[in-house]
Amino acid sequence: MNLRIHFSTGVPIYLQLMEQIKHAVETNAIRAGEQLPTIRKIAEELTMNPNTVARAYRELERDGIVEVRHGSGVFVAGQPSSANKTAEIRQAGEVLRSAIERGMALELSEAELRRVFEEELSRWQENVTPPRRQR
Amino acid sequence: MLWFKAWLETRWRFAFLAGSTLLIWLTPLWIPATGVHTSVPAARFWMVIQLASVLLFIFTAIFLAGSGINTQGMYTFTPGFHGSMLFTLSLPISRRRLLFVRAGLGALQTCVLVVIMVVYILHLRPETTSVLQALIYLTRTIVCTMAIYAFSVLLLCVLDETWHVSGAFLFWTIVFLLQSKFDWVARVSPLRGMSLNCYPITAPIPWTPVIASLALTGVFMWIAVVVVQRKEY
Amino acid sequence: MSDNLIDTSGLSKSYSGSPALRGLNLAVPRGSICGFLGRNGAGKTTTLKLLLGMLRPDAGQIRLFGEAMDSEASLIAARRRIGFVSEDKELYPFMNVGQTIRFTRALFPGWRRDLEEKYMELFRLPLMKAVPKLSKGMRTQLMLLLAMARGAELLMMDEPTSGLDPAMTEDILRALADLATVGQSTIFFSSHQLAEVEQICDRVCIIDQGQAVIDGDLDDLKSQYRRILLTFDGMPPSALASLTGVDHLRQRGRTASLLAHGNVDLLVDQARELGPTSVEVRPVTLKELFLDHVRGE
Repeated sequence: MNLRIHFSTGVPIYLQLMEQIKHAVETNAIRAGEQLPTIRKIAEELTMNPNTVARAYRELERDGIVEVRHGSGVFVAGQPSSANKTAEIRQAGEVLRSAIERGMALELSEAELRRVFEEELSRWQENVTPPRRQR
Repeated sequence: MLWFKAWLETRWRFAFLAGSTLLIWLTPLWIPATGVHTSVPAARFWMVIQLASVLLFIFTAIFLAGSGINTQGMYTFTPGFHGSMLFTLSLPISRRRLLFVRAGLGALQTCVLVVIMVVYILHLRPETTSVLQALIYLTRTIVCTMAIYAFSVLLLCVLDETWHVSGAFLFWTIVFLLQSKFDWVARVSPLRGMSLNCYPITAPIPWTPVIASLALTGVFMWIAVVVVQRKEY
Repeated sequence: MSDNLIDTSGLSKSYSGSPALRGLNLAVPRGSICGFLGRNGAGKTTTLKLLLGMLRPDAGQIRLFGEAMDSEASLIAARRRIGFVSEDKELYPFMNVGQTIRFTRALFPGWRRDLEEKYMELFRLPLMKAVPKLSKGMRTQLMLLLAMARGAELLMMDEPTSGLDPAMTEDILRALADLATVGQSTIFFSSHQLAEVEQICDRVCIIDQGQAVIDGDLDDLKSQYRRILLTFDGMPPSALASLTGVDHLRQRGRTASLLAHGNVDLLVDQARELGPTSVEVRPVTLKELFLDHVRGE
């Protein structure tokens, strides 16, 4: 498992760790039933706070992604194949790649394109959430 | 380990003082050796010795107090405290203990030098001295010198280091002046207690100045502890 | 049930009339690594000195390990369980490394010989070298060794990595992470290096003008705060400033930058009602959080 944390982006570190572990599970880098590195190992490798690692593991357990077996360690929760989203992720990557190419053809800068993307994503989230008072 | 640390900090100054003391005292031995004829009568010479001895006791006490009490390794005349004070203060040692170890070692060093000087004075003395008389002289000298030492410790805890030596000398000069005017001062003065003028070697123990010196030492140290405990760093 | 190793309430201290601390409330729970941030002169070193008993507070209460620090005896008992690293890392000029270690060792009955050897090997400190001849990095390592080998449950440090090169900084951070993991030590340190604080701390306390303006779990803070950028056709409406949850508002031309806290979704909705041409929501870095809270306005 190749973990990389960006400490200074403002995104909570435990969330980053959770995302990376989830991603590793989804792409089959680590399979159901396999043991995850100990808190100590991760804290040591990334030179980070062990409490934060512990928190990530706790939340992952709460979400059902991993299970903590006291005395043995932390293991990926055994789940049927629905956890494997490798194909969907590859598809989404292709879709976005073509969107980026077309955006670049409009001569937008990377930053502008990113802003448009985030704006659309927020708008989409808004439409999906329960009805609220419209403008 | 605290004693060892205090020793490491003060050993050079102690060595310097021991060396210079010995040098000064050995001076009378040179004079005949160089062939310079001294027409100084023995009695006069003896008086000079007595005066010089008192001054030297005082100076020793003040100097060694300054060497021990002022902070980690800075010379007596440099103001401000050394950064390692923060390290010391973060250790689980009471301030009283810190003060006592530093003051204690300086006191021991002072006593060592006083003993050397007393032995030498007795050696110079024209008449022979009994052991008892010698011990009496030694004891009262040490006790009175300790009063001077304790006062210096107190000054160092209260004042900035730069004022210590002048402050101490000023104080004892005032005491000296007062003791010739006021009888009660003369009776309790440590300066008189160690002086051979006032209490020759043949005299019995001068209880008043000795007890007064002990009391003064106690009082000065007690105040010093209170001051140090309330100090802010 | 809180198990705070450090707990202050209403801590105040003035120096000849000018206040350094005005009612500081600080809580450091057991097992956390807490970063203490503030501008120069905001009161960080004063706080550390008060916690260790080098200064006496004018008002307020200090509890260490749950015990009130109201006498010299209680302070001495606490110091047996605390390791301190001062800002200038000064040790005794008349000793060498070995003597300094022996000196400190003699004062702590709970001294951990195994930790001493571990860190001696890790840091490779020269035993016979006089302390003043050590580089700042090595002095930091020595002080860290002295603080950790005594078996301290709580480590207090004043700018531990200042003046150190990146490699040594990483070594120190790794040692701290290790202490928190294996030794379950609690670490409280002041720092100007925000990047390091973000890397190693799970709690952060920001002090400004003698008071704590932020005190909490770092990841939680990052979850609760957002930067919202709004661009308008004309000047941004003044109503923006009075929206609930706006901690800080800055305007540049037609763009308003909000530091928002709490119910960010609601705030974004309300902001949209004011008719911006674009809305952008971004996470907040520790640097932004710091600067926006200590600008002293």
